[in-house]
Amino acid sequence: MHELFKWSRKWWPGVIPLVICWGIAAWTSTATVEADLAERSNAALKDTILDKRRIVVAGRDVTFAAEAFSEEGRQSAVASVEAVPGVRLVNDETRLVPEAKPFVWSAERDVVRVTLAGSAPLPSSKGKLLEAARNALGGVEVADQMSLARGAPPRFDSAALLLLDQIGKLKEGKITLTDTKVNLSGMARELGGREAIAAALRNLPDGYSVAANDIKAPPYIFQAYKDPVAVTLTLTGNVPDNNAHAALVAAAGRKFFSEKVVDNLKASLGAPAGFANAVAPALGALSRLSTGTLVVSDREVKLSGDAFYDAAANQIRAGLGRDFPQGWQYKADISVKPAAAPVDATVCQQLFTELLSKARIRFESGKADISPDSMGLLDRLTETALRCPNATIEIAGHTDSDGDEGANQALSERRAEAVMDYLVKAGLPATRFQAVGYGAAQPLAGNDSEEGKAQNRRIDFVVK
Amino acid sequence: MAYLATFFWGWLLAALLIGLAMGWISVVQRGEGVSRKLARWLALLAVILIALALGHVVPGRFGYWLDLFLIMFALYLVGCLVGSWLRDWVVSRSQPAR
Repeated sequence: MHELFKWSRKWWPGVIPLVICWGIAAWTSTATVEADLAERSNAALKDTILDKRRIVVAGRDVTFAAEAFSEEGRQSAVASVEAVPGVRLVNDETRLVPEAKPFVWSAERDVVRVTLAGSAPLPSSKGKLLEAARNALGGVEVADQMSLARGAPPRFDSAALLLLDQIGKLKEGKITLTDTKVNLSGMARELGGREAIAAALRNLPDGYSVAANDIKAPPYIFQAYKDPVAVTLTLTGNVPDNNAHAALVAAAGRKFFSEKVVDNLKASLGAPAGFANAVAPALGALSRLSTGTLVVSDREVKLSGDAFYDAAANQIRAGLGRDFPQGWQYKADISVKPAAAPVDATVCQQLFTELLSKARIRFESGKADISPDSMGLLDRLTETALRCPNATIEIAGHTDSDGDEGANQALSERRAEAVMDYLVKAGLPATRFQAVGYGAAQPLAGNDSEEGKAQNRRIDFVVK
Repeated sequence: MAYLATFFWGWLLAALLIGLAMGWISVVQRGEGVSRKLARWLALLAVILIALALGHVVPGRFGYWLDLFLIMFALYLVGCLVGSWLRDWVVSRSQPAR
């Protein structure tokens, strides 16, 4: 023992090379050790969900900063870094992700991009939302301004994904999810988009509800143009569905007896309530114009053009009758076509015959009420009658042979009188007309076929 | 420690070898070594350094360098001890009993 002590007193010179060795070892190894520990600390945290993770190694001490999504997650993350072999100390700078109250998430679409903002509960849901946005919007730039926060309502992801789907249907607008309340505003991309979004929102997860839906749709447009030169009626714009489309085209065919109907209509969702009830009388009014345009935009009906004579212009300006639905606006800008040159009685007769060969004045079945579909024809007849002010005209009513002879006679008389009434209301003197009923006595065709009977049910204008 | 040993076995081996060599030489070296008083101070210094290292008092890189030094020094001492003992054994064998 004594000898050991004696030897050890002479060991000091070796310390000099030892210190040199130590210096070189420290010089060369420090960066390597730090890099190795940083790499293995990061590897240890690979499966831990953290935000803003930062690992700085000085020597063998790890400074670990991160935001965790739960207290357990935070503690286990610190423990896994502490467990990395070689780590001497962990400076724990972790904390919990802040809690958002209320938990607000939003998606906003403007002309160039979609911006996702607000809070997302986890990095994975944030990633999912971004990916879903990119897929749903195909090519539109997606800007991410989401931050992470605790306090998301349950089933947040599925609610937000459903809302993101709706962003694709908007031209511009914003969808905000505040806790479990959804607010929507903006303009739908297409007609029917508003309805599609409202339908999709019914699939929101349990507990979620729509607080406000202020999505607007582009105006629902329907247009009709009566062109007297080309003798066409051009229909463009939208109709609610194929049935309404067919009904509308059929009605146009009845009302516009001499025009060819050019049908460029397209069925689309989003029609305002009462569309068919508003468009049918509006088309009827258009049929009474010599030239005119009908524009239906949402619940606004605008009619402009030239009526055949003053009284018709006043009637058309006055409104579209009892059937016009509530809440609709009607604006008429009607002028009167310049009066046509007077003609003599023979030409007048020719004009009457020509008009009545194209279409017949229609009545309600078995009654003497003139069908609204015949207003256009009656206005043309009235205009013709105005051109020969000196001619006396017999308005002759005829029926087919079906039913009682007396009743037919009476019906033909009443129908002739109804037509005369119309002409008198239009401003023509009653003295110029004689309403005569012939019953079934003067058939044009055989009464043995439906076609023949239809030809026999008629009103003729005979210039005396 | 195990981490440092596997990472720097080369340097640690070098410390051990320096120790062995020093220990080997010290047995037959003439002259005075460190004084008894200085040896006590050095021992105190070593104890303080070990306490600092075990207490994780020195932070960051300095802490790492201290650990590294103490391990190398410990191995150096082990080397010295083994070297001295070996040399003493060799010397006592080659010199028949006086």
